[in-house]
Amino acid sequence: MSWLSKLKETSICLQAGRVTLPYPAAPRPTPPRFRGRPIFDPAKCIGCAGCANNCPAREILVLDVCQEIRIIKYLGRRCTYCGRCADVCPEKAITMSQEFETASNDIHDLTQEMELFMGTCQRCGRCFTEPGPLEQLKLKGYRFDALAEEKWVGRSLAYLEDQPVVRDIDIELD
Amino acid sequence: MAAQQILKQLQERFPGAIQRSDIPADNRLFVYVERAALKAICRHLFRDLDARYIVGIGLDDRPVSGSFIAAHNFAFDASHVLMSILVHADAERPAVDSIASEVPAANWSEREFRDLVGIQPIGHPTPKRLVLPDGWPEGVHPLRKDFPWDGVPAGYDEHRQYVFDEPPEGCVVVPFGPFHPTLDEPAHFRLYVDGETVLGCEYRGFMVHRAIEKLADSVLSYNEIPMAAERICGICGCVHTVAYSQAVEQAAALTPTPRAQFIRTIMLELERLHSHLLWVGLASHILGFDTLFMQSFRIREPIMWMAEKITGNRKTYALCVIGGVRWDITPEIKAELTRLLDTLEREWTAVTEAVSGDRNMQKRTRGVGVTDRALVKEVGLIGPIARAAGVPIDCRRDHPYAAYDRVDFDVVVQADGDVWSRLLVRVLEVFQSIRIIRQCLEKLPEGPIQLSVQDELPAGRMGISSVEAPRGESHHVVITGENNRPRRWRVRAPTYQNLQGVPAMIKDQQLADMTISLGSIDPCFSCTDRLEVLDIRSGHQRVYSQEELVQLTRRGGGR
Amino acid sequence: MDARLAAMIGYAILNVILVLLVAPLFEGVVRKLTAKIQSRQGPPLRQPYYDLLKLLGKEDLESGEVPGMQRAAASAALVVILSVATLVPMGGPAPLHEAADVILLIYLITLCGISTLLGALAAGSTYSLLGMSREMMTMMILEPLLAVAIVIGAVHTHSLRLPTVLNGSAYAEGAVPLAGLLMALVLLLALQAFVGRVPFDISEAETEIMEGPFIEYSGAKLALFKYVRMAKLVVYSALFVALFVPWGNTWFYPANLVLFLGKVFVLVLIVTVVGATHARYRIDQALRYYAGLFAAAMVALVLAVFGY
Repeated sequence: MSWLSKLKETSICLQAGRVTLPYPAAPRPTPPRFRGRPIFDPAKCIGCAGCANNCPAREILVLDVCQEIRIIKYLGRRCTYCGRCADVCPEKAITMSQEFETASNDIHDLTQEMELFMGTCQRCGRCFTEPGPLEQLKLKGYRFDALAEEKWVGRSLAYLEDQPVVRDIDIELD
Repeated sequence: MAAQQILKQLQERFPGAIQRSDIPADNRLFVYVERAALKAICRHLFRDLDARYIVGIGLDDRPVSGSFIAAHNFAFDASHVLMSILVHADAERPAVDSIASEVPAANWSEREFRDLVGIQPIGHPTPKRLVLPDGWPEGVHPLRKDFPWDGVPAGYDEHRQYVFDEPPEGCVVVPFGPFHPTLDEPAHFRLYVDGETVLGCEYRGFMVHRAIEKLADSVLSYNEIPMAAERICGICGCVHTVAYSQAVEQAAALTPTPRAQFIRTIMLELERLHSHLLWVGLASHILGFDTLFMQSFRIREPIMWMAEKITGNRKTYALCVIGGVRWDITPEIKAELTRLLDTLEREWTAVTEAVSGDRNMQKRTRGVGVTDRALVKEVGLIGPIARAAGVPIDCRRDHPYAAYDRVDFDVVVQADGDVWSRLLVRVLEVFQSIRIIRQCLEKLPEGPIQLSVQDELPAGRMGISSVEAPRGESHHVVITGENNRPRRWRVRAPTYQNLQGVPAMIKDQQLADMTISLGSIDPCFSCTDRLEVLDIRSGHQRVYSQEELVQLTRRGGGR
Repeated sequence: MDARLAAMIGYAILNVILVLLVAPLFEGVVRKLTAKIQSRQGPPLRQPYYDLLKLLGKEDLESGEVPGMQRAAASAALVVILSVATLVPMGGPAPLHEAADVILLIYLITLCGISTLLGALAAGSTYSLLGMSREMMTMMILEPLLAVAIVIGAVHTHSLRLPTVLNGSAYAEGAVPLAGLLMALVLLLALQAFVGRVPFDISEAETEIMEGPFIEYSGAKLALFKYVRMAKLVVYSALFVALFVPWGNTWFYPANLVLFLGKVFVLVLIVTVVGATHARYRIDQALRYYAGLFAAAMVALVLAVFGY
């Protein structure tokens, strides 16, 4: 009988009462595992670029200004807050914060840039051990992403500047 | 019949046509066949052995074998076997025989690989462009290995128009979409309407194509692809990540840890819960019954909060890596989840009782958008649509994955094949999902949640995986490759297949029922539009033209 | 000027102002109560006023086929429904009763519907034409219901004058008021359709035909049509009250006004609750429903002729 089911439906509704939350008039706390904006800690970062190699959105750029200085820049535009950077970071320098209200009228407010002083391996310049074979991008060597244009350049330089540029290189160490 | 038996059958029936076969597990079969025998073999599988057609794949294998490969995937649901028939095609002018005249469900897949990879299906009944936009130049095929992932073709003609078919006599053309309040994503159904009756339609889709498959084989790596996969769909993200991960794990012969398998099962069922509740709300909204819409969403909201507590996000769980999952279920989460399930069951039972006696809703949904078993077989419909038409297929039981072989559940089947049946199927599946999650929580084994993968994954292996999404079977094909990324990844979302049934469903129905019929397949156009480079090819890829529609309905006994 | 004439014109203006002021408030009640039933907070009661003001200030994109006729139709619809308001007693006597009779009332109500149809036709889009055809089918079978109610009143009172007919005339004096009760039930069941709310808002089915007749309207023209929809709720409720529950009036106009608003409020509550708990019907299902009501109305008419 339709009237009866309508009555049942209405009583379900009225029992529930108002359930909408007053956000944004009142704050809405997030659960502990909430994946918000990643925060990079330059004090802990060792410049391995594991985060950059494993960012699906290619939003973390790496530039080797010279042998000693590496810049790692998190752009935050297309960041999907997946948390892979935090997963692979060997020093736990990246934390997924609880921030999600990141609207701003200047996209550069989201950028986090770290200038790091790097120790240098004499043979290849840079190499780090990734957590596993599935986390490597095989870009060993000097990196030169275009920080000014905010563009990922999927290549690296081997050894010295006048070496030819290759797409993906695999350096064999004995 | 197990894989061995199927292979033997084929070898006996088509001696000499089988070039090579692989049986990596007793539920997987890969057979490379001669080009000349492709059509006959597929016909034999579809008609004589009653296999279900899943999807067709095209791939540019020139860097490895010097040729193109076209593949057709079939499922033997009763025998729990997924198989693939593969053929090589010339590198110069790749072409294979079209099987679409024998297997109607293959129509779109063949048009898709014609557009994207350039393999011509010879003898295809409607070789119309499917995925690529109208202005795309001829001869440029985005999924070929020589086309860069960020390439823009020269010669794009933005003024070229799409030629629609002529409407039948006396019909008004009613454009449904790409903008419409009911549609969440753009899709275009060009309806031919006489008064209030729909006499036919033409569909164009692929407007939200995002090139994910191309990205996967050019830019992303194995563990990054799940993040892209979960963004294929706005609701069933977990399904795609799990299906992809499973395909890779199968290809590389890795077994995820038992705890990870159970956690995947729990998250998949949580996703099914929130998807079905959302669908009930959406269907009510389409019918103008906003109160039930609001109540469904109210009951559903705690599920989203629970997902956020477990994974950090309401929908994009970022759950899988190859070999495991990233989030663990602590005892607190387990207790909270148990409480949530109890509340959910109680509230949903109340709603189910109220709605099942509601004649007002039933009047709008009974006898509307009917599909029968014949249509389900021909077009390869899956999921709640098939189950509502009396065809009991469910990947969780037929091709068990994750922890489904270790839990009990029923496959909900109804007989009428109309929108009301589909509603009942989804409503009852909610209770089954609750049952599955409870069992998983009880049986959750201790142990690590991720495999420690020590070696690079071997290249050139093929893995296929079918996962039961809330909408139907989501099927992923992965061929592993070099450089830590797959060589080819093909996603077949369920809506891809189900949309092919919509024109038959809405024919001769009232215009007002068009939206609820379309809504009853729970369409996810993003899933269908999937992704390929810059194409408008949508997943469903089938623009049913007037002739196709008439053919289909004539075959099914329509007028 | 004649005192009586002045009073008539005064009451007419009062009625118009009353409808203009109160219609958005009742719409606000509808939205708020619907929200409460849906477990939401809902907009404030003042929201329809804000919506109308906002629309009046928005850019008016003239995208229909015949913008001139669109403008005319939008204005005509509001003007006509307000004219109907000047013929219906709202706490006072039927204001312009010396200038009109019930036949004109029926014509004006139909004219309001026709203005909407013209508006849809002028817009010319596929969806508005679909909405127009649905609206036309609905009108063709609904308007006669109202006409039958009025004719029953005319049959009982042997008069076509507004104050006589719009004063509970459907109930027969001296005999069991069967026709009146039956007709009251019929019109109560049809009220939802007259005011165009779920389950009978088929012509504007948003999820099916994208707002139907109003699809090519924006800005001020849309504000006018929205106002017409709100006013219809009040005017049809007032008609129902006048025909079937006119009792309780005293000589004190403000008290009558409050009583009248109270009765309309009750009808609005009924309309809201029914609207919040039903799904929308298809046009063929709705037409069958109206046909059933029409058959009942015919029975009531026959009863009226026989003195009941």
